[in-house]
Amino acid sequence: MQQRHPLNTIALYLTVLVTCGLLLFPIYWMVVTALQPASNLRAYPPQFWPADPQWNVFADLLAKHPFMLWFSNTILIAFATMTISLAVSILAAYALSRFRLRGGQGLGLFILTSKMLPATLLIIPLFAIFRSTGLVGSLWSVVIAQATLIVPFCTWMLKGYFDTMPPELEQAALVDGCSPLGTIFRIVLPVAAPGLAATALYAFVVSWSDFLFGRTFLTTNDESWTLQMGIASLKGEFVTEWNVIMAGSIMASIPIIIVYLFLERFLVGGLAAGSEK
Amino acid sequence: MATVQFDQITKSYGAVEAIRDFNLDIEDGEFCVFVGPSGCGKSTALKMLAGLEATSGGTISIGGRDVTELGPGKRDIAMVFQNYALYPHMSVRKNIGFGLKMQGLPANDINAKVEEAARVLELTPYLDRKPRALSGGQRQRVALGRAIVREPAAFLMDEPLSNLDAKLRVQTRSEIVKLQRRLGVTTIYVTHDQTEALTMADKIVVMKGGEIQQVGSAEQLFHAPVNVFVAGFIGSPGMNFFHGKVESGPQGPVTRFGGHDIPLPAKCAGMSGRDMIFGIRPEHIRVGEDGPGVALSLVENLGTEKILHFHTPGENVLELDRAQVGADEERDAQTMLIRVIDDRRYSEAETLALAFPVEKLHVFDPDTHEAAAG
Repeated sequence: MQQRHPLNTIALYLTVLVTCGLLLFPIYWMVVTALQPASNLRAYPPQFWPADPQWNVFADLLAKHPFMLWFSNTILIAFATMTISLAVSILAAYALSRFRLRGGQGLGLFILTSKMLPATLLIIPLFAIFRSTGLVGSLWSVVIAQATLIVPFCTWMLKGYFDTMPPELEQAALVDGCSPLGTIFRIVLPVAAPGLAATALYAFVVSWSDFLFGRTFLTTNDESWTLQMGIASLKGEFVTEWNVIMAGSIMASIPIIIVYLFLERFLVGGLAAGSEK
Repeated sequence: MATVQFDQITKSYGAVEAIRDFNLDIEDGEFCVFVGPSGCGKSTALKMLAGLEATSGGTISIGGRDVTELGPGKRDIAMVFQNYALYPHMSVRKNIGFGLKMQGLPANDINAKVEEAARVLELTPYLDRKPRALSGGQRQRVALGRAIVREPAAFLMDEPLSNLDAKLRVQTRSEIVKLQRRLGVTTIYVTHDQTEALTMADKIVVMKGGEIQQVGSAEQLFHAPVNVFVAGFIGSPGMNFFHGKVESGPQGPVTRFGGHDIPLPAKCAGMSGRDMIFGIRPEHIRVGEDGPGVALSLVENLGTEKILHFHTPGENVLELDRAQVGADEERDAQTMLIRVIDDRRYSEAETLALAFPVEKLHVFDPDTHEAAAG
């Protein structure tokens, strides 16, 4: 192997450090802001670590607001959206990837168009549909609305993944006596685990961070709010307790990190290695 | 174990006909090889037999049972793919046992059969590894194990050796033949490599452009090719072709080659005055003292054998495109080859006198490219 010049190594490490600093600074600042009184926020010079960290901000948040309820609503919505989106997009992506359909390519592109439209454009027709079906105010309205945007993108992500899998794998399973549906569950999905994990993570994160659909369909009472709506409601007209908002935001990020840690082992590619020559 | 029949099979993709009028009977226990250049339809024919491609017309029978409309899993066949198609998330044991599991066999029976197959293929130490932890040759054996463990009516193999290096390929080739002889299972094997076809097959099916050109043993294809394509495709290096007019000589029909009379087979007597295509294999040309003299343009020394190149005399040059002559390698119509095994030293620009043994000359019709009947 060629020896790298020391200056190159230094430049590489510096770039990595600066990039990590840029990416991590907002998270660090979120923690610092949460732990000091709101009045310190505009102090100059800024405090990079509070002299007297206010750890009770988390307990206060839980005591004063139905935070856990918002939390469970959001968890429910995110898991339901992720599950429905994956179930639909796995079948759609598989069909687009494997079957020679008449107009299949056009259909694939058409699926993407709903992702190209801004979400705000879909809100009015969706609201009309949900009102006539009595879904306004129900968590399902948000699940369905989010799925309409997430399914197209997941379908394309998964189609891309399925396209890279050799069709001989499924053909071998069919010759071995597996049914077509059995082939999907026994061969395709296990082999596509990294692609599924990435897609699931995407669906979960998009659903978790949604504000627009929740704000539109779940306004009536604060017990059906999502975390994002709840946190946004902490911003008052005259006084905004930034430390409380940041404490809420920290707690809201934890599930994403947990989901990522769980899916990470599947995200590591190379599972398909070894099926071929 | 079973016979396999293709009856009037056709396959078209829209307006493109990939397979035309495909009729073939494969005997029980026979090792049948489909061979031809890429795009000749050999893999499509195999996939139709496997049920992985639908037929556009005709019927396919395995063991006398019409399977044309049956799914791949119901045809009682096993297939080895070019890229092996091992299930990457399963251990070798599970890969081999997957088909048996699908048949609903009890776990104990599956295990016993898998262990036996692994013993035969010397895979026992690797049974609990994943395919990615195996070498190419081992993966290839796992793919074979997956096929033999099911004890199917027929084995289908789609270029299973093409991913192995040259040495391993030769070794595995003979292993597959031995395995097939021992198990006696009807085997249909697809390859573009004529050496594989000649060395492995009981029956060779030469294909071109979706049509069968000739069916026969290695011997028949080599010594009695039915057309220019088969003559050029089988044999390495391929047959030399030249053209010339049939004339009557004092001892029988002759043609002129480089200013000399070349005696032709007696069947050419009735073709007097016609322009015909003549073929002779490089190993059949004899270097002698009497006959047309040619100057060597290149001498390739391969150790035991030597390939001598010389220019075809101008009036005998036959321009055929490569698709018509099934030559593997890029062949120059103006060059003919001689393959010799002797200790003599040949040098470029040396002039040799050639003899074309009359019994080794092949005669083809220039219009149809079919072998000329007597």
